[in-house]
Amino acid sequence: MKADLDDLRKRIDLLDESLVRLLNARAACALEIGRLKREMGIPIYQPAREAEVLKNVQALNNGPLDQSAIKRLFERIIDEARHLERIAEEVQLQDHEKDGQ
Amino acid sequence: MVVVMRERASDDQIQSVIAKLMEMGFDVHRSTGALRTVLGAVGGSRQFDTALLEVLDGVQEVHRITEPYKLASRSFKSDNTVITIDDVRIGGDEVIVMAGPCSAESEEQVEASAAAVKRAGAKVLRGGAFKPRSSPYSFQGMGEEGLRLLRAAADRHNLKLITEVMDLSQIELIEKYAHILQVGARNMQNFTLLRELGKSRVPVMVKRGISATIEEWLLSAEYVLAGGNPSVMLCERGIRTFETTTRNTFDISAIPVVQQLSHLPVIADPSHGTGRRDKVAPMARAAVAAGADGLIIEVHHDPDHALSDGAQSLLPSQFDRLMAELRIIAPAIGRSICLEPVSRRGWGV
Repeated sequence: MKADLDDLRKRIDLLDESLVRLLNARAACALEIGRLKREMGIPIYQPAREAEVLKNVQALNNGPLDQSAIKRLFERIIDEARHLERIAEEVQLQDHEKDGQ
Repeated sequence: MVVVMRERASDDQIQSVIAKLMEMGFDVHRSTGALRTVLGAVGGSRQFDTALLEVLDGVQEVHRITEPYKLASRSFKSDNTVITIDDVRIGGDEVIVMAGPCSAESEEQVEASAAAVKRAGAKVLRGGAFKPRSSPYSFQGMGEEGLRLLRAAADRHNLKLITEVMDLSQIELIEKYAHILQVGARNMQNFTLLRELGKSRVPVMVKRGISATIEEWLLSAEYVLAGGNPSVMLCERGIRTFETTTRNTFDISAIPVVQQLSHLPVIADPSHGTGRRDKVAPMARAAVAAGADGLIIEVHHDPDHALSDGAQSLLPSQFDRLMAELRIIAPAIGRSICLEPVSRRGWGV
């Protein structure tokens, strides 16, 4: 029993490792998109695209998490991506101001 | 800030609220529930009016998490503010008692009151020279002559003087005489007066308006602080409720509530809080037990003939007894109260 528990916990640790790697890969991608949005003059907040992302991940979902759980989890991920894009935009604006002086 | 959307809010409505929040500089945390969506908004530096969000389509309610007052807030300054006037420290371990007549009426009356309150252990003499009365035909105060008498009596008995400033035009005059400027309940939202007192460097005591919420009261203190005067204390003096047996309902719960929300000292006024002489002592005891940093109490040597507020003034003997009781209550919550004059009983009489 104890050995099973340890095994499963090890598995969780490995999965978490992958999750962190994947989340960061996704965030890097979002940052790149943010940069392109700025260059093209498109606002950070793209509600239609966010809805599409949520629809896609729900379509891929086979459980045991239910659809609303997947939606809530990805809402968090999207929240963080938006935050990251906003911070990057602020930094860029500050750099522009410095260049201007 | 938390924005709660209506049960049947459409995606379009939710999206335009998110867009608005982002425009205001917030990071948005969207949380879709079974029935309704809740948006958490974090950050955002700009001042804004929550009403701008409340009117958006699909919004049910908006809750602010941070207080609208900043300088008065405990989150701005975690240590208690201690206001020091020579050897008197308001907001420290010692509960400071301010006492005296409602208004200065004559030299004899001011002297008798000052001697009596000093003997009992008060540190500050209270007394009005300009009286805001509900009726224009009531006694309106002695004016500058009253200030002169009050200050002279305070100095003779080594007391500090607190008196009310009713109007912008009086600040310069009263600053010359008083150690603490009192803003009365009726003036609590006289924002031009509060702003002007912010420029003063004399400590200010802001009384709670008779219909003011704690938030409104703290915002009034904020006006004085924002003007640059850091020495602000608050005074609970009772609020108007449906109860008519007492003149006001003395809100003792305001004391611990304000002490949690703010770092400013809180003084309790059980005289106006009840309006009845026989209720002053029990409420004063309760206020000290609740943690008040000070008391302001009306004491008159001949209350039956007082020109104002006689019904709520204590006799000197009643005040003596109250002080003796407070000296037992204060140590129970780790505070002291006017210990020093006991050994000097009879001093200055």
